[in-house]
Amino acid sequence: MQNTSSTEQIEQDVLAAMSWPSRCYLAGIFLAGLVFLGGMALWGRQIALGMGVAGISHPVGWGVYITDFVFWVGIAHSGTLISAVLYIFRAHFRTSFNRAAEAMTIFALMVAGLFPLIHLGRVWLAYFLFPYPNQRQLWVNFRSPLVWDVFAVSTYMLVSLVFFYIGLMPDLAIVARRRPGVVGKIYRLLSLGWIGNSQQWRHYAKLYFFLAAFATPLVASVHSIVSWDFAVSIVPGWHTTIFAPYFVAGAILSGTAMVITLVIPMRRLLRLETYIPIAHIESIAKILLLTSLIVSFAYIVEQGLAFYSGNLFEMEQFRFRALGDYRVLFWIMVSCNSLLPLTLFIGRIRRNLPFLFILSLLVNVGMWLERFVIVVTSLARDFDPYAWGNYTPSLTELGITAGSFGLFFLLFLLFIKILPVLSITELKER
Amino acid sequence: MDRRQFLQMLGLVSGAAALSSCGSEKGQKELVSLLVPAEDGIIPGTETWQPSTCCECPAHCGLLTRIRENRPVKLEGNPGHPVNRGSLCLRGQASLWRLYHPQRLQTPLKRQADGRLQAISWAQAFTEISEALQHNRQQGRKNAWLAGRTSGTLGTLIEEFCDTLDIERLAEFEPFSHAALRQSYGLLFDQTDLPRYRVDQTDLLITIGADLLETFLSPVDYTNQASTLAADKKRHWTHLEPHYSLTGANADRRLVLTPGSEGALLLWLLQALVTQGRYRGRWPQALQNVLPTSDLAATASATGLQPEQLQELVTHFVQAKKPLLIVGGVATGHRNGQSVALLGALLQWLTALPWGGLDFSATENYSRVGSLLDLKELSQKLASDRVGVLFVSRCNPVRHSPTALSLNAALSKAHLKVGLTDLTDETTDQMDLILPLAHALETWGDTEPRQGVIGLLQPIASPQHQAHSEGDLLLKLLRQATGKSPAVDWETYLQNNWQKRFNRNQLSQLMKEGYLIEPGPKPSIRLNPSRATKALKNLQLRAPLALPAAVIAPSIRSFDGRSRSLELLSEIPDPLTTISYGNWVAVAPQTAHRLRMRDGGELQIKSADWQSTQPIRSQPGLAIEILTLPMDSLPTPAAGIDPLTGEALRYYEALQLNSTGKLHRLPILAGSPSQQGRGLIPKPIHRQKKHEQDNHGPRASFYPEPQYENYRWAMAIDLQRCVGCSACVASCYIENNVPVVGASDHLAGREMSWLRIEPFYDEQGRVDFLPMLCQHCNYAPCEAVCPVYAAYHNPEGLNVQVYNRCVGTRYCSNNCPYKVRRFNWWQHKSTPPLDQLRNPDLPLRTKGMMEKCTFCLQRIRIAKDRAKDEKRLVQDGEVTTACAQSCPTGAIVFGNLLDKESQIYHLTHSQRAYRVFAELGTEPGVHYLRPE
Repeated sequence: MQNTSSTEQIEQDVLAAMSWPSRCYLAGIFLAGLVFLGGMALWGRQIALGMGVAGISHPVGWGVYITDFVFWVGIAHSGTLISAVLYIFRAHFRTSFNRAAEAMTIFALMVAGLFPLIHLGRVWLAYFLFPYPNQRQLWVNFRSPLVWDVFAVSTYMLVSLVFFYIGLMPDLAIVARRRPGVVGKIYRLLSLGWIGNSQQWRHYAKLYFFLAAFATPLVASVHSIVSWDFAVSIVPGWHTTIFAPYFVAGAILSGTAMVITLVIPMRRLLRLETYIPIAHIESIAKILLLTSLIVSFAYIVEQGLAFYSGNLFEMEQFRFRALGDYRVLFWIMVSCNSLLPLTLFIGRIRRNLPFLFILSLLVNVGMWLERFVIVVTSLARDFDPYAWGNYTPSLTELGITAGSFGLFFLLFLLFIKILPVLSITELKER
Repeated sequence: MDRRQFLQMLGLVSGAAALSSCGSEKGQKELVSLLVPAEDGIIPGTETWQPSTCCECPAHCGLLTRIRENRPVKLEGNPGHPVNRGSLCLRGQASLWRLYHPQRLQTPLKRQADGRLQAISWAQAFTEISEALQHNRQQGRKNAWLAGRTSGTLGTLIEEFCDTLDIERLAEFEPFSHAALRQSYGLLFDQTDLPRYRVDQTDLLITIGADLLETFLSPVDYTNQASTLAADKKRHWTHLEPHYSLTGANADRRLVLTPGSEGALLLWLLQALVTQGRYRGRWPQALQNVLPTSDLAATASATGLQPEQLQELVTHFVQAKKPLLIVGGVATGHRNGQSVALLGALLQWLTALPWGGLDFSATENYSRVGSLLDLKELSQKLASDRVGVLFVSRCNPVRHSPTALSLNAALSKAHLKVGLTDLTDETTDQMDLILPLAHALETWGDTEPRQGVIGLLQPIASPQHQAHSEGDLLLKLLRQATGKSPAVDWETYLQNNWQKRFNRNQLSQLMKEGYLIEPGPKPSIRLNPSRATKALKNLQLRAPLALPAAVIAPSIRSFDGRSRSLELLSEIPDPLTTISYGNWVAVAPQTAHRLRMRDGGELQIKSADWQSTQPIRSQPGLAIEILTLPMDSLPTPAAGIDPLTGEALRYYEALQLNSTGKLHRLPILAGSPSQQGRGLIPKPIHRQKKHEQDNHGPRASFYPEPQYENYRWAMAIDLQRCVGCSACVASCYIENNVPVVGASDHLAGREMSWLRIEPFYDEQGRVDFLPMLCQHCNYAPCEAVCPVYAAYHNPEGLNVQVYNRCVGTRYCSNNCPYKVRRFNWWQHKSTPPLDQLRNPDLPLRTKGMMEKCTFCLQRIRIAKDRAKDEKRLVQDGEVTTACAQSCPTGAIVFGNLLDKESQIYHLTHSQRAYRVFAELGTEPGVHYLRPE
């Protein structure tokens, strides 16, 4: 058991991050909020005028919006992975990231959840997608993977939220204890009466472990189902059985990269170097390397399957991806996702934080492009050569994408000021 | 009052209050109440069909007009009409766009001193004209009347009008005057008109330049006749032309020859044939002596054909029982045009006249049509101030006169220029007074497109504006100028004439059927040997054109350009290049490659005295030294005037080609000119390898097999017959209220056509056309992925789209291998009064929803309702889709697959039947018949 002074120190250090914000922080909030509002305004314009303001067309009916959706769902992945899976495996370095990763999951899911709506032609009828009882006996089509999506994403959101909140409860009580006045009362309320007696701890440990176990299969299921949005179709380039594991690996890769992107500056700015040691970051980098290798393997398998398939449609599709009009994006994607992460085999580089930060950004770019390449190139060159056609994103789509990043960072910035960014109780345990 | 009563009262009061507040005053006015007695015989929801005649081009096809709530909403061919036999081309379909055109002239317009137009009243216009007529007559100037080709009673009235008012009736003006042909027929046979060519009876058709499918005389008729050739293996069709036309694309064989060398070819053919047994006897010795000699090698080098090809042509001629050679179109539009027409007519006399291949009893009524020489004369008269008032009706001489005529400058000398038209054009821009003409569907009238065929025009739509029919206008002008007129109005005048000309039975047939056949006597055609001898003596074949040369090609979409202002026709892509909006020049892929240019790159084309810059489109199969310039791409689609025949020259020669380096965005709708080996149109059976024919056999499906009870609607499309004319596309647009979206959406890949013609070129540059529409699959990939059942399979095999349920995920479109679904990217609005052109049987779609071909569900609905009333099933042939109905070649057949006696059942079980992408297991309901 730690002595009182060190636990006190932990509490003080972590909660120091929640002190009155600096001007820099406020500027960040303002900027993120502005970009977010800009994106929303563009969405409003799209609803008023029609989907024509986006660049999507015939035959490319899905573009940046679906790319963004898959990207953000992917980002949402690592939260659960780092939190739940590593918890079950008792990986101690988890403590450094789990809170941030879980928050990231929730926020990414919130952002991701917007995109299916943004991409709908008639968003005002979005409730049609839910199987609600009605007199006209209208029902949703359970054969459609889009309906599966609705359930997969909402289940994941619900479980992640509960998991996040349960883990937060003891910390909320600590904040309540240390904060005077009304603010403290609000935290007290939010901690649902947590007093930290042994009975509560016993229940807490059981529930937390159960939720971790419950969330783990979701890591695989959500992105598998998102991948089936594509794999269940018959479009060459989408219609393939490796999509589920391929997408899950990709999601973990992008999620891990996003965790690194968020944690390295957070560690520095909030002065949490003691609690997030470099060794832990190195462990995360190793996960990144592993998933990058899986993704690279999937790239090779995909090309190989097309090459050996003898199927004209498949072969042309993969030729087009690598050598066609979108080849630049394809090769940037390969460089970012497969080639650059190979440097992580070198231990020195793994521990070089600026390098890791830049690499994580590039992997994010690469993973976004991966989804773009999959979504767009497959549609641009499918069966009927007369109907081939390319797609260029419009400013509206790029603006809404920027808006989604604005929303994500806005939420994350609010999070680091409102909630403890590290799990105080677990740090104490350690 | 107890509780129950209280609740009842409450319910009654609140219900009444709610009901009374439903809707607004504004909304109620737009409703057509069924309780109101039918006024003017209009019963809401019922359709009537009225016969009429299409006046979009000189062919004058017979029409049946579908009328709903007092508005024409669809045009179909009149099934019995001898010109078009039930079908209608895309221009005919689009002529409804002319009726509802937002820019149609509404009132007489007068040009002010500053050049602007001001609306004036008819009275004012008539006064002004009659004063000017009188004034100029007194000044010793001649007043003149220039019109497009006119037939029927209107011609009689114009004659009377001109006689009474001492107006010179000028030769009629048509850009496609066929003057060279008419002159040679006049010279050789004393026939100044064009015969009907019996393409339907020939067993060997050789066409030189004559674009039968696009603009030659009567395109629907010839398309229909030519399709009988395609269907019969024993009959053969060779087309010779320098460029690549739709006609050439559909002939059994297309031979490319150097422009201007047609005369050399014909001379050689003539020479070779007159020594052949069958023809030796017919060929007079006198002519033999004056026939210039030419040898095979020289002819081959002049024409650019192989000697074997030339000899093969002769062999074909000798073997054929009923050979028919037709020259025309661009083949007579150059400096050798006169010789080409003359030699062509001689060859026709030798080979086709004996069996009746040229029917001079059904001539095309072109005898009053003049040529550019007449325009030249007018231009000179104008320049020397001999013309007072000039009327220009229903034609556009300003656009079609070559710059050498300087008609524009001459026109300014006329003292009053009066234009009669419905839409403004280059000619009306020069006019002082513009009088709006009513649409053919708004007036009474008759036409005689061909000797012995009389078509009826009757007012089907109530006139939208103050426009007058030409007949009424003439009568009123007569009354204004002379104080009396031959009849109170045009209708009476017509009736009087009809009474004189037809008996009761004929008249009632004309009114009932909309057409009348009055066969004329068959004139015996004799060659005038002395004139023939003289002509052959004087025959001078000048050198072919210097390459590279550009052909000014007529367009199937706008005829001579007269239909350009109908936006629907720009929306439908040119079938060969798949360009919808804008100008272009087609070049051979090799030329584009040599100039290092991509599609859309700007090419500067320069000849000695002319130049133009156009974006290029590479056209597989086009000869390397040839460019195809669509008429619509040029401000003046005539390079000059042939002083011998008065035909417009349709070529620019000795060109210099340079890339300007600029790049235009062309709306090219085809993603690829080739089918990339994907077998959308499979190779003919006899050329297929064994494994390609292997059938995959029935596939296991995850889903239950669809069960159909009475109907499984299906379609068969015979690719052997399909010529790519796009009539079906236009028909579909109008039948199904498909929005016309314009150039910007086409550039973005957002055209809305439910049915499209896909041209696929092979390595030799031969093209096949594949009409692509919703395939109504048994296992439709779109249905499974729709989250809300908006795409659903109905119990009759139709893949239907429930518009109101659609949320717009576009997944169905992504998953459709045929890519036939169309998404509404915007809320499409049409400018009034075009919004009146809509089929009330199906809804207008709003933004954000998916739509696609429904197999004309509304037509099926009507047929089923009728059958249900009569307690039976819908019979074969009782219902057909709009596309199948308008097809001039009968390539599309629609019907019920469960009816084993039906034509569709028979066709889908033919050996030629296949389905596109059958390997995907979608089991389409559209079956194609492969070309042989």
